[in-house]
Amino acid sequence: MSEATNHWEWEIGPKTGFSLEELKSVFDYRHLLSATVKKEFILNYRQTILGPVWLLFQPLLTLIVYVFVFGKLMGVSTSRSIPPVLFYFSGIVLWNFFSDSFSSISNTFRDHIYLYSKVYFPRLILPLSILSTNFLRFLIQLALLIILLVYYVTFQHYTIIIGLQLLCLPLAFLGIAFTSLGVGLIAALLTAKYRDIANLIGIVLRLLMFVTPVLYSLATVNNQFKWIILINPLTPLFELFRYSLFGEGTITPHYLIYAFSFSLLILAVSVFLFTTRSSKLIDVS
Amino acid sequence: MEEMILSVEHLSKQYQLGKIGTGSLRQDISHWWKTSVLKKQDPFFYSGENKDFIWALNDVSFQLNKGEALGIIGSNGSGKSTLLKIISKITSPTKGFVHGKGTISSILEIGTGFHPELTGRENIFMSGYALGMTRSEIIKKFDEIVEFTGISKFLDTPVKRYSSGMYVRLAFSVAAHLEPDILVIDEVLAVGDVEFQKKCLGKMQDISHHNARTILFVSHNMAAINNLCSKVIWLEKGVLKKEGSSKEVVKSYLEQFAQPEAPREWNDPESAPGNEIIRLKKTSVEAIGQGFISVSTPIRIRSQFWFFDEGFTVNVNVRLLAEQGECVFELGSSSVSACRSIMELDVVVPTPLLNNQTYSVTLTVVKNYSQHLFEFANCISFTVQDERKDVSYYGTWPGVTRPIIDNNLYIKENL
Repeated sequence: MSEATNHWEWEIGPKTGFSLEELKSVFDYRHLLSATVKKEFILNYRQTILGPVWLLFQPLLTLIVYVFVFGKLMGVSTSRSIPPVLFYFSGIVLWNFFSDSFSSISNTFRDHIYLYSKVYFPRLILPLSILSTNFLRFLIQLALLIILLVYYVTFQHYTIIIGLQLLCLPLAFLGIAFTSLGVGLIAALLTAKYRDIANLIGIVLRLLMFVTPVLYSLATVNNQFKWIILINPLTPLFELFRYSLFGEGTITPHYLIYAFSFSLLILAVSVFLFTTRSSKLIDVS
Repeated sequence: MEEMILSVEHLSKQYQLGKIGTGSLRQDISHWWKTSVLKKQDPFFYSGENKDFIWALNDVSFQLNKGEALGIIGSNGSGKSTLLKIISKITSPTKGFVHGKGTISSILEIGTGFHPELTGRENIFMSGYALGMTRSEIIKKFDEIVEFTGISKFLDTPVKRYSSGMYVRLAFSVAAHLEPDILVIDEVLAVGDVEFQKKCLGKMQDISHHNARTILFVSHNMAAINNLCSKVIWLEKGVLKKEGSSKEVVKSYLEQFAQPEAPREWNDPESAPGNEIIRLKKTSVEAIGQGFISVSTPIRIRSQFWFFDEGFTVNVNVRLLAEQGECVFELGSSSVSACRSIMELDVVVPTPLLNNQTYSVTLTVVKNYSQHLFEFANCISFTVQDERKDVSYYGTWPGVTRPIIDNNLYIKENL
C-alpha cells in the first residue's frame, strides 16, 4: 500500500489545505468562465427590445436623479471645476461596479448551489465570472462617461489636461475590482452558512456609499468627520479615479498605499479562505 | 500487471441533521473552542450515537483497476451518492482518503450546467465546459454530439422550449462524449424514453469495453449493473456490506430484497379464512434452485386446506393475477373426492414464463365441477426479479409474461 502512495496523482482528504493546483486549474477552466460571462449577458438582454441599452439606461437615470436632487434641489457643491454631470456619473459608474460585484459575489453559494453540488470545477470560477461580467458592464459605462467628457470638452468649454495621470485609471478600477472580490468572497463564505449576513449586505452597502466619495469629493468634507471617510479603503480609489479622468482629486501616496495594501491583503486572505473552505460549505448551503 | 487507478481508504462522511443556521454559530464556536483551542476531541461532534449527526458513509474502502467498471448498489440513503460526491471532489470526507490517477468527470445529474434560456448549441458548450471539457475537445466532438442527440433541427432553439425528452437527449449526449480517465455516473438512466435509454447504455458499454475507461456507476437497474460492471460494491447505511463480482453481489442483494412473502399459516381451524366446509391452512411461494424468485427460476406455490365435509368431488382453481389485476392464467387442479382431511395443492410454475413484476394468487375451491365453495382472493403474492443474459436491452420489459418463443429473422432477398 505504502509503496503505491507515491504514484498517486491526486488525493482527496478531510483536510482541504490550500493548494496552488486549485488556483492553476482556474486557468484550465477559463472557457467555463468566459461562457458564464457570455451567458449572463445573453440572459439579461435576450427577449428584451432595447437589449444592452438597458446597461446604460440605469446609470443615466440615476445620474438624472442625482443631478436634480443634489445639484438643483439641494445645491450640494461637488467640486470646483468638474461639471456636476461628469462628477456624479463618474461616481455612479465606479460605485455600481463595486456594489454590484460585491453583492452578487456574496450570493455565490446561494445562487449557484445547484451547480456547485453537482459538478466539480474550481470554485473560484463563478465569483470570477461575476466580477468579469460586472467589469465588462463597467467598461461599457466608462465608455459612455468618456463620450460625455468629450462632449463637455468640445461644446461646453470644459478643459482638462490630458496627461500621465490617465495611466492611474486602470489602477483605480483594479483596486476596486480586488476589493470587491475580496470582501465579496468573505461575505459569500459567511452567507453560505449564516443566511442573516445576506440581509445585512444590502444595508452595509447603502451605508458604505455615504462614507465613500461618490456624491461628494473628499476636499469638500468637514475636517471633523474626515477620518471616517479616510478609514474607508475605497476613498483613495474613488479620488484616484476622478483624478485620472479630470485631473482633480485628493490623493496622497500613503492613502494610496493603504488602499492598495488593503485590497491585495483582503484578496489574498479571501482567496485562501474560499479555496480551503468552500468544499465544506457545499453541505450546508 | 493491472494498474490501480483509484483507491478509497476508510472513507467516512458525517452530516449534521436538523436546523442549520439558528444556533449553529454558537455551536460552531464552541466546537472550534474545544477542538482548536483546547486541542481535545469534541465528544458531541464525533459520537456515533448523537442524534444530530449521521454517518452517511462509514469506513468504506475499495480499490479499482484501470479499465474496470464498478457498480455501486444499495437502497435509498445508503450513501451511494455521497460516495460519488466525495470522489468527484464536490464535498470533502470527514475521515479517510481517496487517491487516484488521471482526470475524473462526473455525471451526477442530467443536464449539468444547462440553462433553459440558452439554445441547444450554447448549452452544449456550457455543459461541456462545466463537465471539464476544453473548447477544442467540444468543437472536435460537436458534430458527433449533435448526431447522437438526433435533434439537430432544434439546435438554435432555447432549451426551455424543448420537450423533456429532447432535453434529456441533449444533456446525455454531451455527457456521453466526455473522455476522462475515470467516469462517475449516478442514476441518470431513469429518465428518457426506452429507445434513448438503450442508446445510452450501449454508449456506456462502448466506453467501458472498448475505450478501457474506468467507470463508477450507481444504478437501481440490476440488469444494467450486471451487464456493464465487472465488480460491484453494495452499500447499506453507509457501510460497505459486500464487495465482489457483479453476479455474486447482485445476487445476494436481490436475495435480501426479494424474499418471497413469508408463508402464511393459520393454526386455528376456527378462525382461518374459509367456511364450515373448507378453511385455508397455509400458503407459500418459493423459488426452486435459488433463494429468490427471478425470471429464470421455476416457482413452487403450495397451499393446504382443512376439509370438514365429505361425499363430493372437489378441485381447486389457481388463478395468477398480474400487477394491474389482469389474469395471466387460470389452471384447474385434478379432481379428488373430498374427505375429512388436510389436503395439499402443489403447483410448479415453469420457466421461462413470468415477467419481472409482482403477481398474486387467487385460489377457488369448486365442488362437483360447478359450485364455488370458497374463493381465497389474493391469498399470496410474490415478486419476480429481473435477470437478463446476452441481451443488450435494459429498459422495462413489457408484458405480463416473458416466454421465450423461437423466431427467425433473416434476409429473404437482397435488393
